Amino acid sequence: MAAIYKVSYVVSGEAHPGAILNTGRRPKKGDLVTLGTRPYQVVEVIDLIPPRGEFRYLHATVKPADSNGAS
Amino acid sequence: MDHLDLLQSVELFEGVTQDELKLLASICRVQNYPPGEVITSQGESGDEIFIVQQGFVEVIRSGLTPEAGPRTVVNLGEGQIFGEMALVDHGPRSATIKAASNPTSVLVIMREDFERACEQNYHLGYIVMRNIAADLSFKLRHRNLTGR
Repeated sequence: MAAIYKVSYVVSGEAHPGAILNTGRRPKKGDLVTLGTRPYQVVEVIDLIPPRGEFRYLHATVKPADSNGAS
Repeated sequence: MDHLDLLQSVELFEGVTQDELKLLASICRVQNYPPGEVITSQGESGDEIFIVQQGFVEVIRSGLTPEAGPRTVVNLGEGQIFGEMALVDHGPRSATIKAASNPTSVLVIMREDFERACEQNYHLGYIVMRNIAADLSFKLRHRNLTGR
């Protein structure tokens, strides 16, 4: 089975609670993700804790995609 | 994605066997919610655990004082669980959960069915309880990172 990435998304630049979700692909800098209803751009991704089984645990910092015209 | 496919991608069930997953899939039901609809309310008793199948839910905590007001502490997307605290400690719901996307679809497992499955199969029970602890830990780490 392919790896599953459990990602803690933290939004910088605005008061947003962030999000946690699973994805089948490791996010990378520059990616666009939709959290709820709005698009965000990934700024940084780090491994949060060691992998377990098929799961990889990541922390991604994102910013509003419309803050630099990326949306 | 059918129930079994989703359950295979949920951390709560990481490490269970295919037969155990099939058992769990048999006690799940799907519930759909329009955006903004309340799924569980803080302070109420709860008899279910939920898994986000599609979309997002908003986790909202009301403050200890009326002045503090309700505040969204996290959004949970596909594969995330909620309702697990009341499942473990039988206490009241610790937060209000609202559907935050269109569509929002969740899998629901009744506590009675869930506990029966875990009690009849100690391997399943051990794995699930370990994974609930890991999920709560991850949520705490997220909260530490967001500072909320």
